[in-house]
Amino acid sequence: MITIALAKGRLMEKAVNLLEIAGVDCRQLKQPSRKLIFFTPDRQIRMILVKPNDVPTYVEYGIADMGIVGKDTLLEEGRSLYEMLDLKFGQCRLVVAGFPEKQDVWITRSHTRVATKYPNIARNYFLHKGKNVEIIKLNGSVELGPLTGLADVIVDIVESGRTLKENGLVILEEICSVSARLVVNRVSLKMKNRETKALIDNIQMALEERKNGEVN
Amino acid sequence: MIGKLKLSLPEGVQDYLPDECYNKRRIEDEIRKFFYLSGYNEIETPVIEFLDVFAGVKPSIEQEHMFKLIDPEGRILVLRPDITMPIARVVGTKMANDYLPLRLFYLGNVYRYGDFQAGKQREVAQAGIELLGLNGPEADAEVIAMAIQLFLELGLDEFQIDIGQVEFFRGLIEEAGIAEEQVKEIQSLIDRKDMLALEMALKRLPISDHVKDTIYRLPQLYGDNRVLQEAIKVSRNLKCRAALENIYQVYEILKDYGFERYVTFDLGMVQSFEFYTGIIFRGITRELGYPICGGGRYDKLVSEFGCDLPATGFAVGIKRLLIALERQGKLEEVPNVDVLVVVEDGQRREAHKLMQHLKSKNKRVEMFLPTNRSISPLDYARKRGIPKVIEFKENQGIIEYEVHPE
Repeated sequence: MITIALAKGRLMEKAVNLLEIAGVDCRQLKQPSRKLIFFTPDRQIRMILVKPNDVPTYVEYGIADMGIVGKDTLLEEGRSLYEMLDLKFGQCRLVVAGFPEKQDVWITRSHTRVATKYPNIARNYFLHKGKNVEIIKLNGSVELGPLTGLADVIVDIVESGRTLKENGLVILEEICSVSARLVVNRVSLKMKNRETKALIDNIQMALEERKNGEVN
Repeated sequence: MIGKLKLSLPEGVQDYLPDECYNKRRIEDEIRKFFYLSGYNEIETPVIEFLDVFAGVKPSIEQEHMFKLIDPEGRILVLRPDITMPIARVVGTKMANDYLPLRLFYLGNVYRYGDFQAGKQREVAQAGIELLGLNGPEADAEVIAMAIQLFLELGLDEFQIDIGQVEFFRGLIEEAGIAEEQVKEIQSLIDRKDMLALEMALKRLPISDHVKDTIYRLPQLYGDNRVLQEAIKVSRNLKCRAALENIYQVYEILKDYGFERYVTFDLGMVQSFEFYTGIIFRGITRELGYPICGGGRYDKLVSEFGCDLPATGFAVGIKRLLIALERQGKLEEVPNVDVLVVVEDGQRREAHKLMQHLKSKNKRVEMFLPTNRSISPLDYARKRGIPKVIEFKENQGIIEYEVHPE
């Protein structure tokens, strides 16, 4: 049996959709319920629903053999995993954003307050730039940081940029672009080689199928 | 406030209660016996060393991972984060003139900050061997065979030794002439098997398509020995070919021992490529999401301590072994005491003599000293699962009886 950890939230629907194209029966999962563990009818695959940040944890410990999660979460958690496939969906950018008119002020200031859901990414990013920052960990609505004066800038993911715009913020720097990834436990890939490889191949084929579908 | 932590432990360390401790010691005893019978001599180095032993060498252990102390002279000491480096220090400074090869083993704790989790703690019990002075495939095969045999002795089911060869990757880098900064990036992408990012990173490099293509395949070169055949097809330069030839030789020897079914390969295993110089390997089992042992060839390390000696070895994590064995139902309860001895005043000398005699016969004995004075020896023995009672009575002499569970 293979266990897949799925990130609840923005990636969930597309992940399930991809798995179905790859031949994983997700009917049980799509029924409304509060369950957290689901099986395919043949019980060959078990799916667990967890918070995005917990996907890398479950996979690193080997509790889940693989997982579907955003690259932003992987960068933040820094776990030792195989990142086998870029699933292309959930594409967005990790950026530093703030008020346009304060742009120069914060670049020249020696102490910048950064509000973010991604403290590790933010810390590493500014460390590499040789900048001293104060990281303020928030758990949501990060844009409020600069708006209320809690922080000078934010580090967050941006999809369309609409939320930023509506709040009068602009992208100051782009850190990297991110998308959903298929991650695999380092031991499962070897010890359950046959099962994991078959599933990875199916998902890869599903990806290509979907890509061709978009072109046509 | 001093005192508020007195009931707790620092993160990443643990107490071993009797049941777990019994199994830990039992496993360590088996490991010690197995290494000893295989011609290895035990060595012990201090837990405290100078920082320089670990940070003043290439490659060094990252300083943020080490527990540090300052000695009265202001020098930085560390709790050893590793035992291979201290052994290289001992060999380089105190055993340089010994007759070769040297076969050494150790059991001991290492200390590291970092992620702590079950089996990934800050105080980690390890056991390992180092085989110094030999650079042929026979030595690599001996070390890998020792790991396999050890797991067999311990009764571990369903494990695999995953073998790589860092010289294969090094050969490709040298052929391509990739700069060090970029090597780090590519190495980490190969290690994560991140194909897309690897493809993008390779695209940016001014290197030949052939080398690009081979590096791009590295993450996929894992599995059974067909991987080696595939790798031979794509390797043109001498270093890569020598690396593959080396794996083949090691594999042939392991096949002679009948160990081929425990062996798989992964040429994309490059994470510790600065430390290792040849064969590397990791032991994995279905029960654990992370390796239980790791090792390989490190021909450059001992020369950092003044004596140029090739070397190879491995270390196994005792806690990880315990977890895997427990999940396979291979741990035991602490055996019960064999004999309960009950003594009345005036009989102590005789009773003591008998107890010593029983211990000399490897029997566990316990003196009857109940906290509840009204409990009978029989009830006490039943509670403790002790199968036999011997009572030394003032008037009736010695009374012996078996205890049957109710």
